[in-house]
Amino acid sequence: MIFSNWRVDWRKVLIPIVLSLVLFIPGCFQKEPSKFAQVQKDTTARGAEKAVAKDATQGGEFNKFFPADADGYDRVFSQEKKGFAEAKLNKGGKNVAVLSISDTTSLPAAANKYQKSTEKLNGFPMLVETPLKSTGVLVKKFQVKVASRDASFTADNRMTWLKKFNLDGLSKLK
Amino acid sequence: MSKPIFEAVDNLATGGITVMALNSLDFVIPGQWQNIVGFENTITAVTGTDDPEYIQAIGERAVALYNDKSQGYQTAMWLYETVDAGSSALGAAAMASKVGESIPLLGFLNNLTPKAETAQTIDLGVKLVAEIVAFCQINGIPGDSVGDFLAALADYGGESLMRMAALICFDGLVPLGPDFIIKAIDGLSGMGPDQLEGNKTFQGIRDVIPGGDSGGQLGFINQSMDSVRGWMSDFVESRGLSPEMVVGNLRGFVEVADDKLDYLGAFIDVSTNYYSHTGTQTLARRLIERAAAEM
Repeated sequence: MIFSNWRVDWRKVLIPIVLSLVLFIPGCFQKEPSKFAQVQKDTTARGAEKAVAKDATQGGEFNKFFPADADGYDRVFSQEKKGFAEAKLNKGGKNVAVLSISDTTSLPAAANKYQKSTEKLNGFPMLVETPLKSTGVLVKKFQVKVASRDASFTADNRMTWLKKFNLDGLSKLK
Repeated sequence: MSKPIFEAVDNLATGGITVMALNSLDFVIPGQWQNIVGFENTITAVTGTDDPEYIQAIGERAVALYNDKSQGYQTAMWLYETVDAGSSALGAAAMASKVGESIPLLGFLNNLTPKAETAQTIDLGVKLVAEIVAFCQINGIPGDSVGDFLAALADYGGESLMRMAALICFDGLVPLGPDFIIKAIDGLSGMGPDQLEGNKTFQGIRDVIPGGDSGGQLGFINQSMDSVRGWMSDFVESRGLSPEMVVGNLRGFVEVADDKLDYLGAFIDVSTNYYSHTGTQTLARRLIERAAAEM
């Protein structure tokens, strides 16, 4: 009697244990949804807003406002897309910074962040973003940025190169 | 709908034949290629930031840019994937061999057929054109002059340079020999459009090769080969590259007898996806660069 009770008890105990293991183990291996799953869903939905605004300025329009090679640095144009142009700044064949101009029509948040700017360059609001090691200026609807890609390229270097852009010329671009 | 870009970057291989084959080329461009895997890791590697808020914002912008089909990024991804003629079945079989041990090629000989020289020549030309078209899809045509554009091409580094090194070594030197550039140029210029049409790699991407009909496309491939021949010969000569050097380094993980070297090119061709592997890395890098600059 005692023995059969023991057997029954064990079955009672064993079944929930096995069941919980069966349910629990796969749960451990289930992948967490990506942090980018939501934006993926939003940007692939039918009728989703395009990442680049239809009336954004062509990147080729920006080229002439970039600084030229100077002080031992080579400026190499690297991207030219609608609403965006980028050049690398290389020294001794090594990339040390990137220069860019973008049209904020596609991304109004980029322009809005300059509301907290306290500094100006040539009268245009300027902002340093330390986590990105970049310094930007908002020229009307266009954002001009210099970002460091090497420790040797300091915040002062970024300022020097921002000043080399033709910001006034850019401000006249429609 | 194509695979999300963050998934493609997260799922890149950290080991296996493709990564071993690419690492074997480190002697060609020492220290220039690191196998950066994972979307967030790539954001940190490109921008230098480890701030979670910035990583999220840059990643979101990059995903949105990739999903805007008018921006050409998905076409570039499709190109990289399509020219990779790798047969995953053989690749998977080879992968199943014990990690750390070298792969005896002998076991795969029955499944491998060395490509005829003509097919290999077309493959090389088509892959090169795919690179040029993908470059333009990703980067546009930077600058205001031909000089600017050539400077942008010459500025290849990291995973893009590794892809070119692999193209030269695995699709040039190993299957075609030390004079692969002359062979390819002569082969392609003496070829008719019908021969091109019969090539699988060409068939895969013919819709995006400029030139109109296959005759015009052959012309474009010839022009492309001709315009990079100087760069390629310089790449080979300045490093003193030879098929023996490439094979010697591959022997670190593939066992192959001297009289079976023909099969090595075929083995690399079907068991690796070096083009889409490094292509995905290039694409991610450029997207992230742009996203960080725009935000």
